Amino acid sequence: MWSYVGHIEWTSYRFRPAGSPPLGMDPLGSRGVLGVIEECFSAEEQEEADEGITVTRNQLQEKVVEMENFAGHLEEIFLTVEENFGRQEQHLEQHYNEVLQTLSQRYDQRAARLDLDKKSRLEVLYGQLLGCGRTMDSSKELIEAAQGVYRSQDRRLFLKAVMPTIQRIEEFAKEEMDLTLSTALEINTTEDDLSDVKTMMDSISVVPAPSAPVINPQMANSATQTSLRVRWNLFSDDTVEFYELFYRPVLEDLPADNTHGTDVCKVKVKETHCRVTDLLPNAQYELWVMATNTTGISPASEKALYMTVPSPPAIKERGCSSCPEAALIRWDSGNNNPVDSYTVEITEMDTHGAQCGAAEAIVAVPSCQCLIQLQQDRRYMVTVRAVNIGGPSEKSHPLGVSTTGTLFHLLEDTAHPCLSISEDGFTMFYGDEELPLSALAFDDNNFARCVAVLGDLLPVRGQHYWEVAVDDYTEFRVGVAYEDTNRNAYLGATNTSWCMRHILTPTRHKYEFLHDGWSPDLRITVNPMRIGVALDYDGGTLSFYNVELEQHLYTFHCCFQSYVHPCFALDNPGGLTVHNGVEAPGYTRN
Amino acid sequence: MWYKPGLRKGACLLVCIWSERGIERQMHCSAVLSKMALTQVSSNKCAGGYQKVYEHESVELQCKMKFAVYLPPKAETDKCPVFYWLSGLTCTEQNFITKAGAQQAAADNGIIIVAPDTSPRGCGIEGEDESWDFGTGAGFYVDATEEPWKNNYRMYSYVTEELPKLINSNFAADPDRMSISGHSMGGHGALVCTLRNPGRYKTVSAFAPICNPIGCPWGQKAFAGYLGADKSTWEAYDATVLAASYDGPKLDILIDQGGDDQFLSSSQLLPDHLIAACSAKKIPVVFRRQPGYDHSYFFIYSFMSDHIKHHAKYLNA
Repeated sequence: MWSYVGHIEWTSYRFRPAGSPPLGMDPLGSRGVLGVIEECFSAEEQEEADEGITVTRNQLQEKVVEMENFAGHLEEIFLTVEENFGRQEQHLEQHYNEVLQTLSQRYDQRAARLDLDKKSRLEVLYGQLLGCGRTMDSSKELIEAAQGVYRSQDRRLFLKAVMPTIQRIEEFAKEEMDLTLSTALEINTTEDDLSDVKTMMDSISVVPAPSAPVINPQMANSATQTSLRVRWNLFSDDTVEFYELFYRPVLEDLPADNTHGTDVCKVKVKETHCRVTDLLPNAQYELWVMATNTTGISPASEKALYMTVPSPPAIKERGCSSCPEAALIRWDSGNNNPVDSYTVEITEMDTHGAQCGAAEAIVAVPSCQCLIQLQQDRRYMVTVRAVNIGGPSEKSHPLGVSTTGTLFHLLEDTAHPCLSISEDGFTMFYGDEELPLSALAFDDNNFARCVAVLGDLLPVRGQHYWEVAVDDYTEFRVGVAYEDTNRNAYLGATNTSWCMRHILTPTRHKYEFLHDGWSPDLRITVNPMRIGVALDYDGGTLSFYNVELEQHLYTFHCCFQSYVHPCFALDNPGGLTVHNGVEAPGYTRN
Repeated sequence: MWYKPGLRKGACLLVCIWSERGIERQMHCSAVLSKMALTQVSSNKCAGGYQKVYEHESVELQCKMKFAVYLPPKAETDKCPVFYWLSGLTCTEQNFITKAGAQQAAADNGIIIVAPDTSPRGCGIEGEDESWDFGTGAGFYVDATEEPWKNNYRMYSYVTEELPKLINSNFAADPDRMSISGHSMGGHGALVCTLRNPGRYKTVSAFAPICNPIGCPWGQKAFAGYLGADKSTWEAYDATVLAASYDGPKLDILIDQGGDDQFLSSSQLLPDHLIAACSAKKIPVVFRRQPGYDHSYFFIYSFMSDHIKHHAKYLNA
């Protein structure tokens, strides 16, 4: 704050009294605007004068505003300086308090030591004193005893006692008397080590090392797939020269507190924010900041966890299907690790392929598929984004969806091994060459006896329509089946599938409409080359038509317990082609 | 009601013609008058509409004829298409309207149903009441050429010419939209009328039709009596033969046949012949064999709504 200097343009703050002519209006000279107006003869000159007044007024107003701004700035500077002083004062007070505290602590310690010393010496001396006292008592007693003996009248007793007594006195006299004091009278005063107090005093005038900065949590929408925008704050009034931001990826298989492990990267910045680049998508990173100034480095801030945005998903075109009122979109996540959710965006397109209408979004989609409600006979463009706490990813490549007719793809993993499917996914062949046993790989999902394949599920109520192109020589089965229809049975043989079947006999063509092994007895005189299949979930009907003749062939009346898949099978070598995304013709509707 | 039955209209016509000279004209007038005269025999409200029976003097059949007309609710406000039903041996105009249960479907689809009688009645021809499969109640929808039948037994012309004109003039009928159907002998009649008049009928269907009369006892007896010994004249009334040489707009024929039909097993009906002919000529047919069903109106009742739906698809297109 000390280095703030506002560079003020003094030249722009020129003022002139209000009555004086505006700057640069030479023709009017110095007569004053009002005077000029009075003397005007022509309308044009009056107009010019009016303009001049307006211009002057505007300029003056601008100047006023600038002055107000300047005053505001000055006030701000004043306030900041005042604040700073206040802080410094506080800081110094605190510092000195600390020093005083330390000193009084030392004093107390020293006083306590001296106290102890004194006590111990006094004890010793007292002990000595007691000893002397005892000696005195015993010598007193001796003297009294000798005196007693001396004074005794009885010569016999005196003779008995005199010699031991004399001996005792002689012995006593031989004893050395230790009259020296056992303790020194001098008290040693050791010099205290006050060097740390000295450094404390010295450091008052020095700028302290910064405290740990405060790293902010991740802001919404600040991250990209490969970068993160990190912000942090100063702790109170620290002076900082630069910051160092440390970061490392958080990997699942390493412990979270392993700071010596994976590469910790470092970035040096002067601002309180930084954009870290070259990161992995959908990854969690641990970040912390240290502030440095001339005195030293702060401790590390708290570690914050940031997350980069995921990579965009990829819509699986062959996994998507549509019908007049809805579309089922499926995609690959595009990320190795899980994301929080997906957002699906839908835009309506007009017939020229341009966008019309606002985009709609479906958020918080938990899995990699979504069923979207749409309107009939329109075109849409769909994109998907993956979302985690870092924000949404870039859009996936778009998929065009048309809600005319019903469009579905074949589920190739349900196909019998002998059935091959064309590249565009809509034509199937039953080749007549024998496949080696090794090529006949069966799993739980594909048909094992009937050379059949299922189409994608039709998971939307209402009416669906598609066509199948066949030829005279192919024995086929065409219809619908539940997802769990027996893969070891023939289509139409169980109560989980319904189909139209074409059989070639030596004499004629035979057509059956099979469900649960039963068919009505029907004869058809013109063999259909293109079969229209109309499914009505609500009406509970499955109808078959000869498309070229617009002829109704047969209708099953069923009660569908769950959604069904279109199904196709070939009973002899041959092929058939599925045509879908076709609008149901009028004669197929009730 | 769209039109009132005929006397007033006939009167107007009479006034116009009166200005012309000549008695011959008067004779023509009376013919016109009688053509237009319909007498209502009965009317019953049914399925929101009206099941009516009319009687008239037929020009082709030279006798009084009755026919049944079902008018759906829609006929009160709009012109409706017409479904002609031809009944089988021994039937009158009553069997269909009381037993077939067609009125509800007709009302739902806005279709007029016309059901004529199966032969001229009370003509006083010798032998007309001798058999149940020849003469009265067995007109076979032909124009007879042999005596004593040729004056009255002209059911083909009655059904294809006189009746439609009568219906179109007296009821809210759309003259461009009609279809035809029938049972047994009436099925034969419906098929023959369709095959001989390409483009006239929007569609055709039949219940247990006599598909190849030339090849079955019924047909042989009737044709011999009405058309004479020359079998080449019979071919014009045989659906199987007509199909083999049909050349007209695309058809869509629906045929239901009871599996337990005694006449099927006694080779009176011969549907296989018709199917073979249609397969060869690529005439679209859907032939349904219904197990357990016989030749009766119980069978017709069971599948009538499928047939009305089939006709509605074309009549209401």
